[in-house]
Amino acid sequence: MTAVARSWGRLTLAGKILFTVIPILLLLTAGLVLVVVLFGKPIVDFLAANIWLVRFIVAASAVLLMSVPTAFLIIYMEMKVIALMNLRIGPDRVGPFGSLLSVVHGLKVLMKEDFSPTGSDRLVFTLAPVVVYMSAVMSLLVLPFAPGLFGADINIGLLYLFAVGGLTVVGLLMAGWSSFNKYSLLGGLRSAAQVVSYEIPLTLSVVGLLILTGTMSLNQISLNQAGWFTNWYVFQQPLGALIFFIAATAEGNRTPFDLTEADSEIVAGFATEYSGMRFGFFFFAEYVNVFIVSGLFVALFLGGWNAPIAWPEAWAIHLTFDPGSTGMGLLFALLLVPPILILALAAPFYVGRSSLPWWQALIIGFVLFNVLAIVVVGGWAFISLDWVAGLLWFLGKTYLFVFTFVWMRGTLPRVRIDQLMGFAWKWLLPASLLNLFVTALAVIVINPR
Amino acid sequence: MSRLPGLGIAMGMALTLKKFFEPKATIRYPEVRLDVPPKFRGRLQLLYDEYGTLKCETCFQCAQACPIECIDMGGIDTKGRYHIHWGAPETYGERRDESALRRSGRPVPDQAYAHFDPIHPVKLEAILERFDFDPSRMLEILDATQAEYGHLPVAALKLISQRTGAWYAMIYGTASYYRHLRFEPPAAEPLAAATATARAGRETAFLAGLDASLAGSSRRRGRASAASRS
Repeated sequence: MTAVARSWGRLTLAGKILFTVIPILLLLTAGLVLVVVLFGKPIVDFLAANIWLVRFIVAASAVLLMSVPTAFLIIYMEMKVIALMNLRIGPDRVGPFGSLLSVVHGLKVLMKEDFSPTGSDRLVFTLAPVVVYMSAVMSLLVLPFAPGLFGADINIGLLYLFAVGGLTVVGLLMAGWSSFNKYSLLGGLRSAAQVVSYEIPLTLSVVGLLILTGTMSLNQISLNQAGWFTNWYVFQQPLGALIFFIAATAEGNRTPFDLTEADSEIVAGFATEYSGMRFGFFFFAEYVNVFIVSGLFVALFLGGWNAPIAWPEAWAIHLTFDPGSTGMGLLFALLLVPPILILALAAPFYVGRSSLPWWQALIIGFVLFNVLAIVVVGGWAFISLDWVAGLLWFLGKTYLFVFTFVWMRGTLPRVRIDQLMGFAWKWLLPASLLNLFVTALAVIVINPR
Repeated sequence: MSRLPGLGIAMGMALTLKKFFEPKATIRYPEVRLDVPPKFRGRLQLLYDEYGTLKCETCFQCAQACPIECIDMGGIDTKGRYHIHWGAPETYGERRDESALRRSGRPVPDQAYAHFDPIHPVKLEAILERFDFDPSRMLEILDATQAEYGHLPVAALKLISQRTGAWYAMIYGTASYYRHLRFEPPAAEPLAAATATARAGRETAFLAGLDASLAGSSRRRGRASAASRS
């Protein structure tokens, strides 16, 4: 008992809350399941009648759940890729190739003291990271990941994205204001100036694209780019794509435009007074933003979920295998096939190497079977399920751009604040206006009505 | 030629991408250990015994043995007032004797200690003055020293090392490289002639033996060189 009490005493406030909330949530979930089992019928009828509610809840929780591993993955990628570019190895202790180090980082941040300075506006101070994080997560809702796989297909999706993304500024200003620290306030104002300045070329660079597509729905824009990769809008809007990429770098506060928290120059700017998980939220939001910006670029200019090659209909493989049609046979196959295959895969190793104990051979067989099963099931899903293929293409392209952002961080030095503002107003804004006018002119000349 | 805008960025990005695929410099220490060179002696440091006093016996052997004189000795007097420098490296031997006598109560002979006779340094100072204490004109300095003293005394080499700032080991290496420079005073005339013939005979015998052991190829080359000479 004392050990438990001691462990409890060692937890921070956040940890205590977490350790109480998680069991309560588990109990509530169990109760909910019980309720559904007991009074399932009317509830199911109600949900079937209001399918939008289900969709909302599922999408919101899926997006929230997705944001954390995405941030972990990008943090790990950043550590590893920059290390490799610095001729170092980078994280290699926790997990395979150090891939769990970002999870450890997350836990570390969770355990740190959650501190708010004397004289700070406590409420705003607490809300600021939430606002920043929510603006990032809410942007994820309209990203089209795959055909039929998106939170909501709003007909003003792009506008929504820019509006919600603009909320970040509010969060940064709140953080700077409530910290009771003049340097934080200056940092907040500085980042607000940067983000607002780059919002303009970012939005204007997309207007040319909107003239071409005639819709703001990201889903529709992705559908428009189906077929060969020459249909991608990057070939019709090269200047727009370039401006969008540069402005998006600044929007996501990435090097070379990461002046909002230039950690080596101004002590993290608006985030000076933040610690623990509140700082972690800023941190996470930055990486989710990187993902969103990359995904947005892919959806707008690089064909979204579309494969670069349109397969001729004659080449298409049609797998008509439906697992549900096999009936009881499926059950037996699920029971029998794994053990038999594991044994079959373990046998050559056991026979071939006499020094190998049987259990190690079994482990090898198990691992091989899992690899085989993942490949087979994945291949089947890729061929016969549209959304799996789409998701893979989308994520592949997106992470290519995430890699580019990390790569840029590993290469480029930070710009000065006057260079940053001058570049936005003197170069990007005229260039985006030029792009807009040229696009409009081209549309009128080619397609006069 | 005005460069394309963004060319520098592209070149930088290409560089980092190239480095991305290059082999890495990190050594995963506890798992992978580098081979230590055989002459590696670790970091030099003074150890303390269990009473907290230095284990150093001030035997000066380390300072004497150090070929590039990077080890020097200094200290603080009993009242902790002065930072004492123990003197020039050539006096380490005497210091060691004093120290050994003080610590053990009896004179302890030092096997490594080689005594050398002092010289009168005025002439050498004049020579060094003439060559502007320039270590890059070492051969001229050594020539002049030998002309003055008849040979190269150890004390002279030490003084040259002190004045010019060149390492003693380097000066010794330079002096030992040239056959006409010698470390001992020349022997008497007839004896010197005898030594010279004996040395010439030894060299001829050595070269003949070398030629024989290298057999055919060297002999052919020797014949060819003889032909070309004639």
